[in-house]
Amino acid sequence: MSELEIQVAAGVDTAGGAKTAGRGRVSVVEVIAALLAALLITAAIAPGLLAPGDPLAIDPLAAFGAPSWTHWFGTDESGRDIYTRVVDGAHDSLLIGLTATVIGLGLGAILGVIAGTLGAAVDFTVNRFLEVLFAFPGLLLALLFILVFGPGPGSAIVAVGLSTAPGYARIIRAQLIRVRSSAFVEAATVQGLSRRRILTRHILPNTLAPLLVLGTLGVGQAIVWAAALSYLGLGAQPPAAEWGAMLSAGRTYITSAWWMSFFPGLFIVLTAVCATALGRSIERRMRHA
Amino acid sequence: MMAHPSAASPRAVSSLPSTVTFPVKRDLRMPRPGILRSAPRSATLAVLAGTAAIGLALTGCTSAAPTGDSATPVAGGTLTYASGDAEPTCLDPHVGGNYPQALVSGQFLESLVSLNSDGEVIPWLADSWTVSDDGLTWEFTLKDGVTFTDGTPLDAAAVQANIAHLQDPATGSSTGYLALAKVTGTEAVSDSVVRLTLAQPDSALLESLSQPWLAIESPTALERSQDENCAAPVGTGPFIVDSWVKQNAITLVRNDDYTSPPADAEHEGPAYLDSITWRFIPDSASRYAALQAGEVDVIDNAQPDTISQAEASDTIVHLDAPRPGASNRIELNSGKAPFNDAAVREAFIRSANVDDAVATLFQGSAERSYSALSSVEPLGISRPDLFDYDPDAAAALLDEAGWSEKDSDGYRVKDGVRLTVVFPVSTNQSIPAEQSLFEQIQATAKETGFDVQLTKLDLSSWYTALGSNAYDAVSAPYTKVGPDVLRILFDSAGITPAPSGYFANHAQLNDPELDSLLAQANATNDADTRAALYADAQDIVLEGFYILPLYDQQNHFLLSSAVEGARAMPTVSTPAFYDAWLTS
Amino acid sequence: MADQLTRARLGGLGRRLAGAVFVLWAVATVTFFAVRLIPGDPAEAILGGPGSQTSAEALAAVRAEYGLDQPLSLQYLHQLGRLATGDLGRSYALNMDVGPLVLSQLGGTLVLALLSLTVAWLIALLLATWSTGRGRLARQIGSGLEIVAAALPHFWLATTLIVVFSIWWGVLPPISTADARGLVLPVVTLAIPLAGFLGQVMRESLTAALESPFVLSARARGESERGVLWRHALRHAALPAIGLSGWAFGSLISGAVVVETIFARPGLGRTLLNAVTVRDVPVVIGVVMIVALVYILMTVLTDLASRLADPRPMSTGTGAGA
Repeated sequence: MSELEIQVAAGVDTAGGAKTAGRGRVSVVEVIAALLAALLITAAIAPGLLAPGDPLAIDPLAAFGAPSWTHWFGTDESGRDIYTRVVDGAHDSLLIGLTATVIGLGLGAILGVIAGTLGAAVDFTVNRFLEVLFAFPGLLLALLFILVFGPGPGSAIVAVGLSTAPGYARIIRAQLIRVRSSAFVEAATVQGLSRRRILTRHILPNTLAPLLVLGTLGVGQAIVWAAALSYLGLGAQPPAAEWGAMLSAGRTYITSAWWMSFFPGLFIVLTAVCATALGRSIERRMRHA
Repeated sequence: MMAHPSAASPRAVSSLPSTVTFPVKRDLRMPRPGILRSAPRSATLAVLAGTAAIGLALTGCTSAAPTGDSATPVAGGTLTYASGDAEPTCLDPHVGGNYPQALVSGQFLESLVSLNSDGEVIPWLADSWTVSDDGLTWEFTLKDGVTFTDGTPLDAAAVQANIAHLQDPATGSSTGYLALAKVTGTEAVSDSVVRLTLAQPDSALLESLSQPWLAIESPTALERSQDENCAAPVGTGPFIVDSWVKQNAITLVRNDDYTSPPADAEHEGPAYLDSITWRFIPDSASRYAALQAGEVDVIDNAQPDTISQAEASDTIVHLDAPRPGASNRIELNSGKAPFNDAAVREAFIRSANVDDAVATLFQGSAERSYSALSSVEPLGISRPDLFDYDPDAAAALLDEAGWSEKDSDGYRVKDGVRLTVVFPVSTNQSIPAEQSLFEQIQATAKETGFDVQLTKLDLSSWYTALGSNAYDAVSAPYTKVGPDVLRILFDSAGITPAPSGYFANHAQLNDPELDSLLAQANATNDADTRAALYADAQDIVLEGFYILPLYDQQNHFLLSSAVEGARAMPTVSTPAFYDAWLTS
Repeated sequence: MADQLTRARLGGLGRRLAGAVFVLWAVATVTFFAVRLIPGDPAEAILGGPGSQTSAEALAAVRAEYGLDQPLSLQYLHQLGRLATGDLGRSYALNMDVGPLVLSQLGGTLVLALLSLTVAWLIALLLATWSTGRGRLARQIGSGLEIVAAALPHFWLATTLIVVFSIWWGVLPPISTADARGLVLPVVTLAIPLAGFLGQVMRESLTAALESPFVLSARARGESERGVLWRHALRHAALPAIGLSGWAFGSLISGAVVVETIFARPGLGRTLLNAVTVRDVPVVIGVVMIVALVYILMTVLTDLASRLADPRPMSTGTGAGA
């Protein structure tokens, strides 16, 4: 990902109410974000509650229908209801986004911690390794991975995870170094606590604490990444109602049927925005707590 | 990286008594009314069309149909062509031999013969030809006074050199090599007469020689290294390769000493255009936007929705030129389960609702085909009776074939095995509308109990999947002039892979009777016998339910209305700009 | 003292160089094995692409000529050897030497990437400075815009811009042309999501900087709000964004793959995509190596820029990578 999170992790206050939202005060933005997240998660777990229809049911004679009362988001080129597909697609898209982020974070955390705790030589080696990963264009990495292992959500997940891992690793490592040289760790050392205890009791928790925030920020990005893979035809396979695939398919008809790409795109953006807003509010709470 | 199959036929070929051959009465040239689809589309498109007109540099055209009759050709100007097909790796169509090469090589290379719009063989570089009674000796008399653009004269020795080049394994020709498979020797009877000796009669020889992949190049140029010849082949055509900036554009300039138009050309002498810029724009939306904005003059691989927009527009003209050869069809792998059972094949075909899908996805730019061959092929037969959408009949067939149980997801099972159809789709060769068509077939077949698994793959991965027999259904285009394409696609010899892993008989049809029919048809030069044999052969293929025909290979060009006189060659439907001029 | 410093600097330089060589080697290795792992026969790729009906003799000849019949590890060593001497080999599909091919495409992509980075910086800077220090609403608007911008997929943004600026308003060409007009939409497409990222980073550090002690003292000295902003806070705010630029360049190359395809713009991204599709191993390796080289250069440059812009004395860099 990016070193943007260095700033976040370092506890810099972010937009949305640094001066007004104190401990426990909830802003409008946060409420909306939370509601949206709840809706999205419901859509992912139990799409039937929000959209009872069949996302795969074709109706060729109703193809390219504009948004209407019967089809809130219109229909696509095969007459499938786009609203139902968007709701159903939440499952695929969120799954890809979340799992890829977890993989990226997990791998990144392991690499970052290894680099920061096992001495200078290991640090140097891991840093070189990270540089190698950084030197690859992320899309190429994902492309090669998918071509070797075949297309599909599984490959997309791992590919996106691998591409984002080095970014997280750098952030975790930076955070670890900062924590290691911070005042209270110094104090603990002076107090005579063993290195091991300092590591497990103080350094690691403080280093890994921002992970949640990083994760929420990364989910949106992972979904956008997966959408790019769908554009290249390497993402979810038909007839899966994955947002990126729908966005890519709708692009062909953008001048004649704008709704086909508008609504999946809207939800990709909304998810990213919602995840970011939640991440920041969590981070703010954690700092104030 | 995309090679699209593309074409549409305005009318399906109907079934006739097999003793009658009928010509294809369709004029592929432009601008004659009849090709222009003026059927109005929806209001939103009219708005867009109006906006497109504003965006375009207005040429002052106000009539719905461009009128070529009153305009006089003007010399000069540069035409910009934007292709959606992949950029060729070698401009010499002798090397390899695919459609993207033919598109551009057709501008500067010419063949011995051509076809007219009725499908008859007409003179081009060869003025006349004869064939011996036993069909083993052909003699071609070449046109007088033709020289290649490097000064080498066109003579019998030149033709010999070309045939040798095609047959030489080092050249790596695939299409040309196969087409000349029966030619064992050549002889220069005189300067202008060349004799070809065959091991067996080949009724497809003339048709093969009309194709761009067997074009005649300068023998002097052929002696250069392959890299040099690939960069700028030398021919007799109306244009010359001036430069090729890879991954950017090819520049062709007019051949001022041009003397060899085909017999059905509109004029003689040099071409009108000064030059042609040949660009590659892989993204279909950008390609159309470029045409609307006036950045390019002609585009190919036009998508169905842009075709309807264009037809409603005053400033863009639609040229519909289906490719010859096979129709676009889904082939069912009869070499392994479940499609080794003819009943299951028939059930699958009857469970797929293709008509509705084609009508809505292609918005009238493609007509449903019920034939194994393109509608431009005079000897094609069409059997709509075999391809009804009939889910009840499909269900009954499956029940009888032992697939009467269904699992919890609604798919049929037999002995614990699910009725799965693995269907790899090449994103390079199937346009989005076609991919959606497959999705709809997947959905309707599911109702009968088929589990169709679509996988979108890039070209290389797709060929790999085919080569390793990892498919049950596949759609692969094949462009070739003449009904001999049936032999390539359905003769049992086509199941054996070439050393590269490629094979053409994806249906894995292995029928000795069919093989014999196709061999006989290829050997006879009698038109009636040939037609009858090919009709019987097609009946076997269609009645065996080995293929599900969809539509003609779509090949749509969109042209700015400033371009007059452009046409699609009746041979393989490549664009020809010899008679073309720009009105603004 | 100066002696020690020079030695330290040289040692640092040497380490840097060694690191760079290592990265290049690793990149070449990973790419080589990855592309060879993808299903597809390289001999076929050489002879005109997949599906070509080439003869057995032709395939055998090609295998012998390119050494494809040797064990993979041996081929790898040969490849390394060639790379070490600067020989990037010959494209399988394009009948060209890879070196000239890549260099001819590099210019276009570099121009695109650098312009996009610059425009992204400008947008991010403007947005961050406008929306900071003006109250909550401005901050939220700015932040919101940045988050949305960062979430826009390139291919969707490209098409939307084409529809609006080319099809509806007809003011810009939908594909790349020889002149500067053809650059506008591709650059904007790449710049907007990047601006979203950079803007978020800048705003946060800007806000932090505005609350820090040295700014307070500047205010106490009577400097105007704007003066404070521009003269003091901005330098601090720019630091992390400068550090990000190395990563940003890499992400621009990813974006270039999509943008160059949609706008039919010649460049490394499109070349790379085509090469991967037809399994043109030498070109893939060549492009990746060049990208890695440029990335390393960018990293060095941004490190230098960071050190120059960092007003803190004797700062050893806050862990932005060794």
